[in-house]
Amino acid sequence: MTGKESTLSHYLKSPTLIVIVFVVLGILIARILGMSTLDTLMTIMYFMGIALSLNIIMGFAGYVSFGHAVFLGLGGYAYVLLVYFVKPLAQLQNMGFGLGAFLVAVLAGLFAAVIAASVGAAVLRLRGAFFAIATIGLDFTALYLMKAIVPELNPEQFFGAQIILPADKIVEKDVVFNAMFLTLIILLAVNYYIRKSPFGVGLTAIKEDEDAAEVLGVPTTMFKIIAFTLAGFFAGMVGALFSLNGGGVDETLFNLGHSIDMIVMIVIGGLGTVLGPVVGSLIYFELYDLLLVHYPGVNLIILGIIVAIVVLFFPEGLIGLLRKYKVKGVRLRDLLE
Amino acid sequence: MEDILVVENVTKRFGGLVANSKVTFSMKRGEILGLIGPNGAGKTTLFNVITGVYKPDEGRVIFKGEDITGKPPHVITRKGIAKTHQIVKPFNDMTVLENAMVGALFGKRAHQITIGEAKEIAYQSLELVGLAEKAEEFAVKLTLRQKKMLELARALSAEPELLLLDEVLAGLNPKEVEEALEIIKKVKEERDLSIIMIEHVMHAVMNIADRIVVLHFGWKIAEGTPEEVANNPEVITAYLGDPRYALRFVRRKGGEGDGSS
Repeated sequence: MTGKESTLSHYLKSPTLIVIVFVVLGILIARILGMSTLDTLMTIMYFMGIALSLNIIMGFAGYVSFGHAVFLGLGGYAYVLLVYFVKPLAQLQNMGFGLGAFLVAVLAGLFAAVIAASVGAAVLRLRGAFFAIATIGLDFTALYLMKAIVPELNPEQFFGAQIILPADKIVEKDVVFNAMFLTLIILLAVNYYIRKSPFGVGLTAIKEDEDAAEVLGVPTTMFKIIAFTLAGFFAGMVGALFSLNGGGVDETLFNLGHSIDMIVMIVIGGLGTVLGPVVGSLIYFELYDLLLVHYPGVNLIILGIIVAIVVLFFPEGLIGLLRKYKVKGVRLRDLLE
Repeated sequence: MEDILVVENVTKRFGGLVANSKVTFSMKRGEILGLIGPNGAGKTTLFNVITGVYKPDEGRVIFKGEDITGKPPHVITRKGIAKTHQIVKPFNDMTVLENAMVGALFGKRAHQITIGEAKEIAYQSLELVGLAEKAEEFAVKLTLRQKKMLELARALSAEPELLLLDEVLAGLNPKEVEEALEIIKKVKEERDLSIIMIEHVMHAVMNIADRIVVLHFGWKIAEGTPEEVANNPEVITAYLGDPRYALRFVRRKGGEGDGSS
């Protein structure tokens, strides 16, 4: 029952880890050889990042949040305002080949995490559709709050809620790339660790039956808030670096559409796995681009139909579907996490 | 011997409905206590008060000398009380083994054991209830009897001292009832458990319980050995409201499980 194998050989046997390493190396190689533009790679990492961050609360704990863009936006605003007003941070972000920007993004992420923890303590009392509806409200609340607050901070400079960073406060795009790349690796590791840990088992139990989980000893309230906070933290970091890459931030980051994008990526890939959001975000990115190029105007309609088909016929997503099968007697669910 | 559980004057109301009225009883370590009463007597509510799912309006619950009234369920589980659900609640998309692992990971030794150790504990519980060969199946594929046994295995994985069984025999056929009773006896011996069981299968609970507490409309109307309770006029009157139960009581046999809740 409990073979004592070395931890390393266990990890080497996991194709999930291999795929993750493959994806990470792929991005790195594409970057070094200049196979894709920096912006394309940034967009791919941004997609993966937001999907993986939402995965922590939606994939593992089963709480479908339509408000995840809030933390993306809060991270973006926190970062831009920090470097705009705090001189040392503006200098820090240019240091260490991206490490500086990464550290400022951690600060922005922490800000998003604090908001996530306090908001989560309230909305996570709701379940199912009620939770989803409450989180839709979060999107709009954050949007209008920013529209009201941001112009007050620096009336002469800010045009509405939009902030554009002056030339001396932005960072070279390849430096931003490094920071985002580091964030993505950490996000993958965190997802993988959760999947393998008692914390992850507890979250899955919550997804399956929250009342039964509580009676079995899972501290459901605490676990949900931790998951929501972690998800908010990483969304904040990704939002921060995405905004830095764009040289500024505006309120469109809070759009409900962004929240829905993330949900769709996870659903296409497969809920509750690490691989799901990775694969899902890649597919979504490709689909989105392809449809936009070949069928402009109706691209979103086609995308919507594809999503509807996935939800109707493969609700477990691509990875979830594969996990059901055996190949040469090996159950894929043991391999695909 | 010390009292493992003392329930003192517990009252629980839902709006105008009084589900438990001043219920008081205690049980010794190592006892099997039967909790019976007609439908709607407040038995499951009482379980939910003991495990912290409901906070009582009045009264106290004392476990091993410690007041646990109103503590959240996960805290109470860690102190050593485990419960099976009357309506089975398996984690359907998890395997049988993973289901039992949840019990182990968040039970008495929560946060002190690794995933590997939890697997071992879970597997032992599955063996005890006879589900070991189903360990890798998804819980959704189990039969009702197996799901009931999974509830039991999950609760056992928490390594409790007090086990609350809410109608584990309901819906089983006579042969399955016998098997389940054997398993419960075996589990009690091996794990040195104290057990409270809610049961409608009268001959079963009469056979296995050391003492019986009878609830009716939320009040405790009788307490004593199975013999005493069965001959108590108040108990017979309470059950006469439902002739099926009355008959079964009088004959004290008749093994069919009552599928109703």
